[in-house]
Amino acid sequence: MSITLLADSVLSEAYRLTRNRMAVFWSVLFVPALFVIGGITYHLITKGKTQGMAAVAGIPLTMGQQPVNLGEALNQGAGMGANGAILVFMLIGAATLYAGDYRWETFRLISARNSRVNLILGKVVVLKLLALAAMIAFLIASFIETVSQALVFARPLTFEFDGGDAGRFVLQWLLSWVRIVQYAMLALLTATLTRSLLAALFVPFVVGFAQSLLGGPGLAILGWEPQGWAAQLLLPGLAFETLKAAIAPAVPGPAQPDGLLIKSLISLTLWSLVPLAGALAWFNRQDLSKE
Amino acid sequence: MLHNLNLEPLVVPPGARDSRFMSAVIETRDLTKTYGTVRALDGLSLSIPRGGVYGVLGPNGAGKSTLFRILLGLIRPTQGEAIVMGGAVRIGGGGDVSSSRRMGSMIETPRFPPYMTARQVLVWLSTAHGLRSDPARVDAWLERVGLTEAADRRVRGFSVGMLQRLGVAIALITEPELVILDEPTSGMDPPGIQEMRTLIRSLADRDGITVVLASHQLLEVQRVCDRVAIMNRGKLVREGLVSDLIATGTRLRLSAGPIDKVLAVLAVLGDKGVQEGDAVLVTIPRPEAPALFRALIEQGIDIDEARWIGADLESVFMTETGSIQIPEAIQ
Repeated sequence: MSITLLADSVLSEAYRLTRNRMAVFWSVLFVPALFVIGGITYHLITKGKTQGMAAVAGIPLTMGQQPVNLGEALNQGAGMGANGAILVFMLIGAATLYAGDYRWETFRLISARNSRVNLILGKVVVLKLLALAAMIAFLIASFIETVSQALVFARPLTFEFDGGDAGRFVLQWLLSWVRIVQYAMLALLTATLTRSLLAALFVPFVVGFAQSLLGGPGLAILGWEPQGWAAQLLLPGLAFETLKAAIAPAVPGPAQPDGLLIKSLISLTLWSLVPLAGALAWFNRQDLSKE
Repeated sequence: MLHNLNLEPLVVPPGARDSRFMSAVIETRDLTKTYGTVRALDGLSLSIPRGGVYGVLGPNGAGKSTLFRILLGLIRPTQGEAIVMGGAVRIGGGGDVSSSRRMGSMIETPRFPPYMTARQVLVWLSTAHGLRSDPARVDAWLERVGLTEAADRRVRGFSVGMLQRLGVAIALITEPELVILDEPTSGMDPPGIQEMRTLIRSLADRDGITVVLASHQLLEVQRVCDRVAIMNRGKLVREGLVSDLIATGTRLRLSAGPIDKVLAVLAVLGDKGVQEGDAVLVTIPRPEAPALFRALIEQGIDIDEARWIGADLESVFMTETGSIQIPEAIQ
């Protein structure tokens, strides 16, 4: 594999994707924009209702005295970087990237020079960059939402962020990134197998939805232990949440059982690599003249 | 209608028959491709010389597109080998940067992401081919194919002819030594066809690019190509200089009656006559004509007139493939 050829594949895919404003908007900007708008609206409504209730009860509001920590907002933004909305809307970019060449019959234009492995890896690298862009956009949105909270409630802003916070931030950020890329691998495999943009969009959505159901009420119905091999291996979303809780527990609780994190890591790794390997194997033997 | 076709003299560039044809730019050996029980290519051995314009002809299903797809590494042959510019074709590209840049292609009517402009498509594919973004190069090729005014329009609004032009520009953006064009004039209007013909000819004559094209428009092929290969059912049935092939492919115009009987006799003899007014056009080699006359007379047919008329690539094609091509003018 030549680095030069892979770089050409990455550059050309990135150039093409950035020309597709709709795909970039929906996969990168839409969720953060919605988060900011939704957050500000929520704060305004909450303030109005709280003031109303305080006035009726004759109780003075004390919320303004509590500072808003921007450092915490950073960690929350990193932790929420792979939330359900981002995963779903990232599928638009993933499907465009992975199935676009089938949709527009353009593989024949790019496959004569570069190896098929490079063509796929170029797309995967660009998807990783797209995921990074979406996470940065969400982090900025999280930051804006936190500042808006402080402004709406007239609370002071602080920035407390120590070494431990920085470590958690980096780990959460990486974990969210891995989760987005892993989820988008389903789009890659589906696109390669079906040559369909719509399938690349909807199959991962349905699989993800089914997995989230199984990870919730489904666990009890199936009689699976959330910390068992079956649940961890078959439900990458559960594995992601397990790792996330290990990095930054929402509430302090008992230590996780031995080997659980390994199961979660194996799950995310397998759900990333197996679809990629499958897509590469299938793509390598695919007749690209029948698009 | 055939006799109404106004065939321009074949333009053969100076030197087209000399040293430029000495070395092969494409060579296939026993190339076979099967799809299930269908043999799209059947042991095709072909040598395409460097330089000039080379036409690959054949009726639908002859295997032209399959051949091109194998040459471009889009599909694997079932058997045999294809060598392009000295290197064996490997599916999925071989990572041979220099060789890939030396070859450009356009297979059928190209399609592009509709949200991109013509200029963006060229920049995108230049990048994919490892070329640095060079606005001057992009502008030059847009101008060469007549798309300067449409350069910044999204391709979703392009006509088929404009897409064809853009496809040709893409094939040429790397300034290759070899260009493979599948039906380059498909969907174009007559002025567009003429411009494309001029462009293809200039690629060979001015830029020294070897052009290999497939087309159903035999008149265009006759006008633009130096050599042709005629394929039928996956096999090579004829190959040579266009001028040489035409010299051997004359047709006989028979004024004889009754015409139904003439056609019936021709059918029995395995020939395909085409009725043209009160006459029949017969495509047969000259030496076989006396035998045909005897057979007709023995069947009680009166021959008023028998005349050899000017040959063209179409008559050669019909003879070699056994198919009847309806001229564009009456389609």
